[in-house]
Amino acid sequence: MIKAYILILTYVGNLKVVLEEMRKLENIESIAVVAGDYDIIVKAKVNSLEELMELTDKIHSIKGVKRTNTQVIEKEIVA
Amino acid sequence: MRIRKKYLFYVLGILSSAIGAIVTIIDTYISVIYVKDPWALCLAIFLAGIIITFILCLILSIPIKGKSIGARIDPSFRKLRLLRKKELKYHLAAGIGNATATIAYFMIISLYKDPSAVLSFFQIVILYLLLIESIAEKNAPTLAEVQSSIVVTFGAILSSFSLKGEINFFGLLVVFLILNPSWVVFSIYQRKLKIMKIDSCYNDSINIRFWNLFFTTIFTTIFVYFIRRDAFYLAFDVLKYWYFFFISMGVTFFSYILYIRALGLGKASVTQAVKSLTIIFSIPLTFILAKITPVIVFESITHAIIKMIGIILVVLGVISFALTEVKAYIFIKAKTGYAASQIIDKIWKIKGITSVAAVAGRYDIIAKARIRTLGKGYERIIRALEKVKGIESFEWQSILKEWEEI
Repeated sequence: MIKAYILILTYVGNLKVVLEEMRKLENIESIAVVAGDYDIIVKAKVNSLEELMELTDKIHSIKGVKRTNTQVIEKEIVA
Repeated sequence: MRIRKKYLFYVLGILSSAIGAIVTIIDTYISVIYVKDPWALCLAIFLAGIIITFILCLILSIPIKGKSIGARIDPSFRKLRLLRKKELKYHLAAGIGNATATIAYFMIISLYKDPSAVLSFFQIVILYLLLIESIAEKNAPTLAEVQSSIVVTFGAILSSFSLKGEINFFGLLVVFLILNPSWVVFSIYQRKLKIMKIDSCYNDSINIRFWNLFFTTIFTTIFVYFIRRDAFYLAFDVLKYWYFFFISMGVTFFSYILYIRALGLGKASVTQAVKSLTIIFSIPLTFILAKITPVIVFESITHAIIKMIGIILVVLGVISFALTEVKAYIFIKAKTGYAASQIIDKIWKIKGITSVAAVAGRYDIIAKARIRTLGKGYERIIRALEKVKGIESFEWQSILKEWEEI
């Protein structure tokens, strides 16, 4: 099991459409709209790095996504 | 049959609160009809409870297809195990807390004979947790916190009014000075046990429940023996009603398990809000109880309305308390020369941090925080982060909206 944060930047005015498309995707644990340097933070849960690549590919192909930044989790502590 | 996860969560949460209400009704029924002495009843219930819980835990330890039944409820559960040395002091404290709270609970039940009011009293615990937090951290509570805890407290007092419109001062004294403080002790140490690691795995709730009950029974026995010697002997006499106690404690155990399962599916705050529905469920059950026993729940319409208003305030207060929160992601870059694992441990100790992850990419660590207001986030988290050595820079990203897979 591989988990990763995918930080997404969208073009202005496309946030709502991108979110709707994003919610249809699989292998996603949570989606958060944030105020800061990024617009959307997605937490992904995949079985292999290849699946992670497929997921980021799918996100890239959503119209309105400007840039993504994937952070693969090496170690995690959760309450 | 397949249910969507989201509905499963609500089904489990609501089922757990409904069962919780039924337990209180059973307890009231026993205390009104069979065992009028609260001390004896409390001891007898624990003595029978430890047996039935032990049997249920053994059943949960049975492996089916390489995985115990209990592991399907709490994934960290393997089987019933012996106590570890490092758990002992927390279990001792939680046991004293639970024993005191339960004796107080049965005293109140025999005083008020109204389950819906008694369940409201438990919610005042919010007020105490808030007070402790303010004193321990020199951190002023937010308006929303003060508001909802006052609403809950006043609601509970309203629902405690007796038939003649009098306030039972002795009862309220027990509620404020014994029941809730000891309940706070119990919940604080229970939480400490839950986040403890056993064999590099999180502590499981089924073992915690069993061992807590074990120590609670010991402490209850000691308390009753030294404070009310006559009730101590009476308790063994009333053990002839063991089937009632088995039902009460067995059902409590299932309510607890369903709650844990719901907690694993949904967010703790939402689960807590759903759990406060117990009070609502207890209202119709209280009416049924009033039909089959000589208990009179209310005398006049005015009295009923006052009680209802009290109960609504309690539920509203708990829900609003549970649901006001601000969440944020914090992206952290570490300085070279510092071990990431050490920085993670330091960040994890900051209160309000719900998860920390070491990541490979532009940042080194991503943490998630949950606080009541942004002001508190500054006080608690940003100031604490600035003190952690090895952090080069961090970015705060407030979450505006969130979807979670549950």
